[in-house]
Amino acid sequence: MIPEYLIRAILASVMVSVLLGMLSPVINMKGLAFLTHALFHSLLFGAVLGMILGLLFENLSLVMLVALIVTIIVVLTIAGLEKLGFSPDSAVGIVASFVAGLTVLSFGVLYKVMATRPYFPLSESIVSYLTGDIFLITLDDLNVLVTGGALLFFVVLFLYRDFLYLSFDPEGMESYGGNARAYLMTLYVLVGATGALIVQTVGLITLQVVAVLPGAIALMVSEDIREILAVSLFLTLAVQLSSVVLAYITDIPPSGIATIMLGAIYGALLFRR
Amino acid sequence: MEAITAEGLTIFYDGKPAVEGVDFTLEDGETLLLLGPNGAGKTTLLKTIACFHRDYTGRLGVFGRAPCEAKKFIGYVPQSHSLNERVPLTALEVVAMGGIYRRGFIHFKLPPETVEKAKEVLGFVGLGDVSERLFSALSGGQKQRVLLARALMSDPKLLLLDEPLSALDPSARAEVVSVLAKIKRERRVAMVITTHDINPLLEIGDKIMLLNKRLIAFGSPGEVLQDQIIKSVYGPLARVVPVEDKLFCITGDVHLHRHGGGGR
Repeated sequence: MIPEYLIRAILASVMVSVLLGMLSPVINMKGLAFLTHALFHSLLFGAVLGMILGLLFENLSLVMLVALIVTIIVVLTIAGLEKLGFSPDSAVGIVASFVAGLTVLSFGVLYKVMATRPYFPLSESIVSYLTGDIFLITLDDLNVLVTGGALLFFVVLFLYRDFLYLSFDPEGMESYGGNARAYLMTLYVLVGATGALIVQTVGLITLQVVAVLPGAIALMVSEDIREILAVSLFLTLAVQLSSVVLAYITDIPPSGIATIMLGAIYGALLFRR
Repeated sequence: MEAITAEGLTIFYDGKPAVEGVDFTLEDGETLLLLGPNGAGKTTLLKTIACFHRDYTGRLGVFGRAPCEAKKFIGYVPQSHSLNERVPLTALEVVAMGGIYRRGFIHFKLPPETVEKAKEVLGFVGLGDVSERLFSALSGGQKQRVLLARALMSDPKLLLLDEPLSALDPSARAEVVSVLAKIKRERRVAMVITTHDINPLLEIGDKIMLLNKRLIAFGSPGEVLQDQIIKSVYGPLARVVPVEDKLFCITGDVHLHRHGGGGR
């Protein structure tokens, strides 16, 4: 009989795969790898801040909410700096450096708050944020993941063509009446929200790799958008599911296995070229 | 009606003037060729007319309105190398892009009328048979014609073209110029075209503007293509040579500029 936690992990993997499989080609085509890196690091800052608030208010469900809010604030700050005339990379660089510094500072505050509490199981939570722990997903976590994931999936799906046009020619989009900045900010928010939703499943350390590599691989093997999406979705799903099964057998964190598998496929394709 | 009017126009970049003292009027249906060396301010002026750049003083009007209020009249054609060709769009999808952004925020599916019109304008520019091919797989001349078709989707009254002939071989240039001539002839659209390579475009140019961070000359080809004017921008080696009924303008660049019927 399949253990219940394994079924939850498999269902979570399917949701994660659908979201990342669809977003990954856009992240690559729009050249958002650097931004993704900054956004996902802001998730750690948000998570640590959420843990501090969770301890103070004795409600650890605040973690995901605070991580999401911090990520959206970071997205809006980057967009605001771009509007002031900074290049996207400069804006990300400025914000990322602040976020990195604040993350370290917030860890200091977290340890102080933890020391004032009689029992603090949070060190496990912090580690699970970094490495991901898909086997520890509860039914409530799964509900949030599936509901939030479905919402994000449909928003991305309905705006997919606009994101392609945005990636192709933002200036053209603007000149023909589109609001390129609004589409770009929507895309940033969707990437950040997806990260916030799945970070505990995938792990912060490997999140960027699984967000970027499936799309990069799909773009290497096809030039048809439907095929690219299919390859990206199938690849993410195959890697996620097989890493869950392998992790179940070997007791190694699945996110690590998934990342190594994706790296091996990408490397092999590059080598073949 | 005047398509563009500029009076005492100075355009700034990073707080410093990039182009100064621009005064001109372009009538509806006329074609203006914007000529000048690298960094002369041609693209800056074009982007200001297109409302991409708003830091300017003086008066600039497009069909009697401020540029940003006249966007619906304008079709903008960027340099094709500025596009991200990693995005796998077909020629038809690229053209359709020009017709969907006046309505709504979500464009999950292309409306049938947009697809029909995209096919029609692709036919107009002579590319009806490549609509399902990837944009990235087209030749340079075909890409430029697809971008022209995209600009025509909104039935513009003014086309702004940024270096439409750059990096094209002579036969591709001839294809593009032929389509531009067709647009001018059949659609009566005013056009502003920036170029380093004025030679193939002179047959459709009604006016020429010579820029070099300021307005050097503006007028008909016969008025602007004169030795002393060309030399003032391109140096002492530049000159204008009359051959039979045409003018050839030799600049310090390798470009050879020719004008037919100038009377010199």
